[in-house]
Amino acid sequence: MSEFELLLPLLSLIVMGSGIVILLFIKAMFVRVVGFVVIMLGLFSLIGASIPQAPSLPPAVETFDMARIQTPDDLAFIGQKIFFSKGQCALCHSIGPREAARCPDLKGIGAKLTREFIYESLTQPQAYIYKDFRHEGLPQEYPARMPHINKNPIALTNQEILSVIAFLQKMSGEPISIKVEDVMKPEAIEVASIRGAAEN
Amino acid sequence: MTLQSAIRTVGSSIRNIRASSLLGWGVLVAFLVLPCLVLAQGAATQAMSVEYRDIPGIGSRNVIWFIAQQHLLLAGFVLGVPLFAWVCEIVGWKTKEPRYDKLAKEFTKLLTSAYATTALFGGILLFLLIGLYPKLMAYLTDIFYPTFVAYSILFLLETAVLYLYWYGWDSMQGNKKGFHLFLGFLLNLFAFFIMIIPNSWATFQASPVVVADGTALERAWAAMWNPTWWPVNIHRFIANVVLGGFICGAYAGVRYLLAVSREEREHYDWMGYVGNFIGVFGMLPLPFAGYWLMREIYQYNQQMGITLMGGFLAWLFILQAMLIGVLFLGANYYFWMGISYRIPGVAQSYKKPILAMLIVLMVSLAVWMTPHTLVASLQEAQQMGGAHHPLLGVFGVMSAKMTVANLMILVTFMSFIMYWRAGKQETAPWAKIAKAIMGGVLAVAAITIVVLGVWGYFVPALFRINTLSVAQVLIVLFILVTFTPLTAVLLKSAKTTTEMVWGQMPVRSGYTLVSNAVMVILLMSLMGYARSSSRVHWHVYGVLRDTSEYAYSPALGYAAALMSLNTFFFCLLVAFIFWVATMGDKSQAPSKESPQKVEPGLTPVMAGGSPSSGGKGGVQDNR
Repeated sequence: MSEFELLLPLLSLIVMGSGIVILLFIKAMFVRVVGFVVIMLGLFSLIGASIPQAPSLPPAVETFDMARIQTPDDLAFIGQKIFFSKGQCALCHSIGPREAARCPDLKGIGAKLTREFIYESLTQPQAYIYKDFRHEGLPQEYPARMPHINKNPIALTNQEILSVIAFLQKMSGEPISIKVEDVMKPEAIEVASIRGAAEN
Repeated sequence: MTLQSAIRTVGSSIRNIRASSLLGWGVLVAFLVLPCLVLAQGAATQAMSVEYRDIPGIGSRNVIWFIAQQHLLLAGFVLGVPLFAWVCEIVGWKTKEPRYDKLAKEFTKLLTSAYATTALFGGILLFLLIGLYPKLMAYLTDIFYPTFVAYSILFLLETAVLYLYWYGWDSMQGNKKGFHLFLGFLLNLFAFFIMIIPNSWATFQASPVVVADGTALERAWAAMWNPTWWPVNIHRFIANVVLGGFICGAYAGVRYLLAVSREEREHYDWMGYVGNFIGVFGMLPLPFAGYWLMREIYQYNQQMGITLMGGFLAWLFILQAMLIGVLFLGANYYFWMGISYRIPGVAQSYKKPILAMLIVLMVSLAVWMTPHTLVASLQEAQQMGGAHHPLLGVFGVMSAKMTVANLMILVTFMSFIMYWRAGKQETAPWAKIAKAIMGGVLAVAAITIVVLGVWGYFVPALFRINTLSVAQVLIVLFILVTFTPLTAVLLKSAKTTTEMVWGQMPVRSGYTLVSNAVMVILLMSLMGYARSSSRVHWHVYGVLRDTSEYAYSPALGYAAALMSLNTFFFCLLVAFIFWVATMGDKSQAPSKESPQKVEPGLTPVMAGGSPSSGGKGGVQDNR
């Protein structure tokens, strides 16, 4: 937070105070109206400065320093950061049940689905919709539509997608099937066989 | 030369040059803009090396924000006022009441100087955009160049029609009035298209449709017809009517406070009523247009929708609720004051309904302002048992907010109906049955809205959004479109028991009108910030990334301060425009030769008087 933002409540109070002084001591009606407007605007600024302040910063770019990635757990750690930042996954998905969910709950997803299936769900989200996702109750249709995570505006790289899958597997208590060498490969994971298998 | 005579000389000069010359400057700027656009396109390749320029100390983004906001608010005003004036002119023509025609003319006069000021700010904005954001402008020019040509042609047509409409006002009375009304229609038609073309540029940035193939026209058309274009067009059109109405109301409010004679007080009291009435009637369907826009945003891109409603902008909607709540309270309060002061003797019988409506409004506002997720420390969250408050958390969801928004609209509408019916006694034989049916339907509608809202807690979100919320909106719209004509028919044969007396409103009525206008301006500024911030770090969402140092949206505190500054400057600008436009009235007013009687306790008038209501002592109103 900049110094200016820290001073905002004080500035707002000064503006409001000016308006009050005008109303108390000035008789000219037009100036009094200006004072009234100033009080309203000062009050609005004060309320604006009093609520939680959160600027929207561009997503941090996760650099893949291969020298520092020793184990799949390191990958999962990077994946966790991407999940909550650049990937924007947490905007819609929850980890654990949530009321009024707009998207499927991802708790335990790494144990339920293969890495190939997750990869396909991220890069070709409409290719195959797994309707019985929750394994309980009636299949639920969600209002949200999954975006292509490898395209703009999110545009995760292949390395970043694999890191997110590693995080999902770790979060589900599964052994991480993404290997450190996998993120070195430029090509994407083969998914066609999965769709074929599902359709069969 | 004394200071006074110098001021008089300057004032006289301004009077001589003001309307036509300012308009001429506006057109000149519009023409100057065209070659600049070509330059922008031609310089596209050069611009690749310079993507951004900055203004040290102030920041390029802040400058663009300020100028764009002034331009947008002025544009909203000059597009809303012609509609306001045209409707007043039609009412005057149909009812043969000259005061409506005078009112329409008074506001059209403001248009000439406001129009030129809008064009000037538009020109400044364009120069700044080309200079500070060459990469973005080159990209947009490449796609939208054909629309720039159409926009310029529309601007010329609008200017020509405005000249004819304003300067031909007096000569086109009598049997030529029909043609003058047709000119008013054309003025609004061209204004509408002038509004929707820039809307396509702005909405393209949020929900782009990029076509790589085809002619320039095909590519521009595809980009224009993007998913949020029409929702924004409709939303802005209604919002402009609201802005025009409330600013006219505020103008009347200030003039009422400054009035020195009974005639002036009567005139500006009535004008304030008309401005508030148009503002309120535009405000009632506005939330529905906003709801449609949000639906389209969600359908276009879930992340963008969630960023707006549930992400870092979530608290913005609490501020929005606060502003809308104050606006609703102000509009209702003005109606209630009208019942008490303009219709003597009836206030007592309306005390209980007014109290009930005030309670409903306050409770609704409290629910609307309940945040969805409380930002709390880990310890607080543990004590609360989660991020949501155990008791109040239930009000923080959309189901509750949609319900109270609909109830507030209903209450405001009923305030107006109550004001309309006050002081009159229905004589139609079926009046009793009609009133009973209306009361019953209103009660059923209110209960159904609440039931649908509660039901929304127990169904999947998709069903709530697509079915229950839509049903709530349709119920309110049904009440609006059936009660208005029914009440009109009911009152057509009604007997006036208490005559309406204008010019008796207390001083706080003037301040209420000013407050309403300030709330609308702040709301427009706030929602403009929301729409722009929903693109996060993209100039064109998902297509052209913002790589400047300002590729972030500032926090709400900073934004609110800038919005306040913008609102203050805009209010001063509008006051200046009004002052300039009415300066001539003062010199022409008969008060110079035969000064109007100044009543004790009243302050001198700031600017000249305006035509009173046809010389009648007390204007009667049977509406």
